Amino acid sequence: MKFPEFITATSLDQGLEIKRERGTEARVIAGGTDLILKMRDKVLSPSVLIDLRRASLDGVTLSGEYLGLGASLSVSGVIENADIAQMFPALAAACKEFAGPPIRNRATLAGNIVNASPAADLVPPMIAYDADIVLRSSAGERILPLAEFFVGPGQSVIEPDEILTEIRLPLTSAATAATFIKLGQRRSMTISQVNLATRLSLDEQGKVSTARIVLGAVAPVPMRAVAAEAMLTGEELSEELLGAAARKAREEAMPISDFRASRAYRLQMTEVLVRRALARIAHQGAG
Amino acid sequence: MANIEIELEVNGRQEQVSVEPGKTLLHLLRENLGLTGAKDGCRSGDCGACVVIVDGRSVNSCMVLAPQAEGSSVMTVEGLAQGDELHPLQRAFAENWAFQCGFCTPGMLASCYALLEFNDNPTRDEIRAAIAGNFCRCTGYQAVVKAVEQAATELRVLKGGSRNA
Ligand SMILES: Cc1cc2nc3c(=O)[nH]c(=O)nc-3n(C[C@H](O)[C@H](O)[C@H](O)COP(=O)(O)OP(=O)(O)OC[C@H]3O[C@@H](n4cnc5c(N)ncnc54)[C@H](O)[C@@H]3O)c2cc1C
Ligand code: FES
Ligand code: FES
Repeated sequence: MKFPEFITATSLDQGLEIKRERGTEARVIAGGTDLILKMRDKVLSPSVLIDLRRASLDGVTLSGEYLGLGASLSVSGVIENADIAQMFPALAAACKEFAGPPIRNRATLAGNIVNASPAADLVPPMIAYDADIVLRSSAGERILPLAEFFVGPGQSVIEPDEILTEIRLPLTSAATAATFIKLGQRRSMTISQVNLATRLSLDEQGKVSTARIVLGAVAPVPMRAVAAEAMLTGEELSEELLGAAARKAREEAMPISDFRASRAYRLQMTEVLVRRALARIAHQGAG
Repeated sequence: MANIEIELEVNGRQEQVSVEPGKTLLHLLRENLGLTGAKDGCRSGDCGACVVIVDGRSVNSCMVLAPQAEGSSVMTVEGLAQGDELHPLQRAFAENWAFQCGFCTPGMLASCYALLEFNDNPTRDEIRAAIAGNFCRCTGYQAVVKAVEQAATELRVLKGGSRNA
């Protein structure tokens, strides 16, 4: 096999220039924890690899409206950042349940997103926090809700000349609580059978102003259970309501059976885990 | 395809190697530098037998392409001992019977070394979390946890000692 040319870009602009010239022939290599295996299995055969580790894309910046996470931030980098832990605990929780330390030290947020696995652990919490992503090309940039990025397993709306540069998490009010749950065959080093993130914000009357229920590994792409979210919005929380929303989320899920879990098990667990996640944040008192 | 030149520091020594571009850091270490401590287990990031320290962090060397390591500082199990004197972590592994076949040990030591660099007084849960990416198929993990606790205590005393000296 002809191995791709390897270019360590010293700036984002250099990387964008290569992407402009070579399009899908050129792939960014971040941690490489998905890409190296996909190249070995010939799922992907790029002719150029662009390493962005010298392009300073791993910063965390607080602006007025959002916390910006550099696309090359590693999973360990998220865990070690006190602002993320405090403001976006469901994302920090997902990072702590991700693989084991040596993989976490390499794997990046951008890689987890662009790889577009339906089971990606970091995507449901980011969607639950209404994350936007910044896609840059040499022609300019566009900002897109992360929830609209995915098309199917391994597929997204990223253009051949684009590089993901930043994830923006809108700052949430104090009356917000969120959580993440991962179900796998073990506690560590496992790909999720089902994963999910939920977030609730309450208004002054104690009614739900925003509800997010984001499910992974139960559809071709990470998905919001929008009907279940709608049941909660504008209501006061009760055990019955949480149970009904969890049943609704199960109706919305459309899992397949594969070697990790059967469709029936995934459906059952979706209901159980959505109820558990909602109850956990309701008791934390979203507010 | 033409080889490429890679420069990196390994166990404190500056090295220049010529490798096929698709080679992993694991095979660079084993084949080009003769450092066979890091083991070739699964080649897919799952087993941890290949873990080494790159720029202060534990990584699976089977999941790093050689050119990704260009300019890095790498430490392998061979870099732990000072001459004939074992590192306290290595000695603690031996004294606590923390290995049988030893296949997982170089990677296990790398993960534990990285832990102790960040946290000189880890709890048992923190030690278990630190070795979650290292599979041991014969000894189990209890003895490793004990060894790391012993080494942590010793290293704290040593550090305290050098501060007072
Ligand atoms: C042993 C093991 C355990 C794992 N455990 C988990 C787990 O628990 N949970 C989980 O979700 N995943 C897991 N994974 C999968 C993988 O580690 C993650 O998806 C990881 O986040 C990928 O990030 P990376 O930086 O390694 O991506 P890479 O492999 O470098 O890249 C992945 C894809 O993203 C593209 N890409 C990367 N960065 C950019 C960018 N800035 N712009 C455009 N495209 C880009 C690449 O071209 C490639 O197509 C595991 C993998 C292994 C090997
Ligand atoms: S050989 Fe690298 S993790 Fe198994
Ligand atoms: S000592 Fe044999 S695998 Fe761990």
